Amino acid sequence: MRVAVVGKGGSGKTTTSAVIARTLARRGLRVVALDCDTNPNLGISLGLGDEETERLAAMRDELDAGDAEHAPSWDELIDRFGSDGPDGVRLAVVSRIQNPEPG
Amino acid sequence: MLGSADFGSAVVIADLEAGIGTLTRLGDEDVDVVLVVVEPTPNSLEVGARAAALARDKRAGRLIVVASRVRDDSDLASVRDVFGDAEIVVVPDDPAITGAEREGLAPLDVAPQAPAVRTLAELAQRLVPDGG
Ligand SMILES: Nc1ncnc2c1ncn2[C@@H]1O[C@H](COP(=O)(O)OP(=O)(O)OP(=O)(O)O)[C@@H](O)[C@H]1O
Ligand SMILES: [Mg+2]
Repeated sequence: MRVAVVGKGGSGKTTTSAVIARTLARRGLRVVALDCDTNPNLGISLGLGDEETERLAAMRDELDAGDAEHAPSWDELIDRFGSDGPDGVRLAVVSRIQNPEPG
Repeated sequence: MLGSADFGSAVVIADLEAGIGTLTRLGDEDVDVVLVVVEPTPNSLEVGARAAALARDKRAGRLIVVASRVRDDSDLASVRDVFGDAEIVVVPDDPAITGAEREGLAPLDVAPQAPAVRTLAELAQRLVPDGG
């Protein structure tokens, strides 16, 4: 199942995403949380802490700065560039390449 | 974007960029559920209404409105005014959320019994009922 969480800035998207992700993971479901924000902070609300959240964000920026031909696939993004959080939620910070601008 | 990926049996929760940009770029039927999160303010409700319209156009599955930081009946009424017949989940304004944020911790770890946290946990349950 794929759930998109949308809304205006500051409306509560990240809080909503984090509590839902962890609640489902706690039940033993495999949960992948994708942080698509330009200023990623889902890691904090999931409980991965400041440092790990920043590490993932920095990795995304590096990927974005690299050339598009070596952009990771979704699997790679989640397996190699993601991180496990509390309750086993797998968090990946999604790059602009996965989330392209139109045109 | 999400449509090109195979996540297997995983539940995928995508915390999208603020606004409706990513939603406009989503392919038809890329997602099963869209959670439109709104605060009871005119600007937030307007963005939410546009997001909901887009989600319906794109046949993006089940649409649920998450009314966040609701303080009273008039807050709730302002959300119902805009999203009349939609499925609405009411998340109360709750100091436990801002408290957790100040500490840099997960609301679920700091205040699992706080009203806002419980409401969101119930929403998770509603999305994927037990045994489902
Ligand atoms: N139910 C609530 N009660 C009180 N405060 C809340 C509630 N939900 C969210 N907040 C607070 O509102 C602010 C925005 O919440 P959050 O980060 O979840 O929103 P967002 O939509 O992800 O924001 P952004 O667009 O900046 O990513 C935060 O300071 C958070 O602590
Ligand atoms: Mg956010």
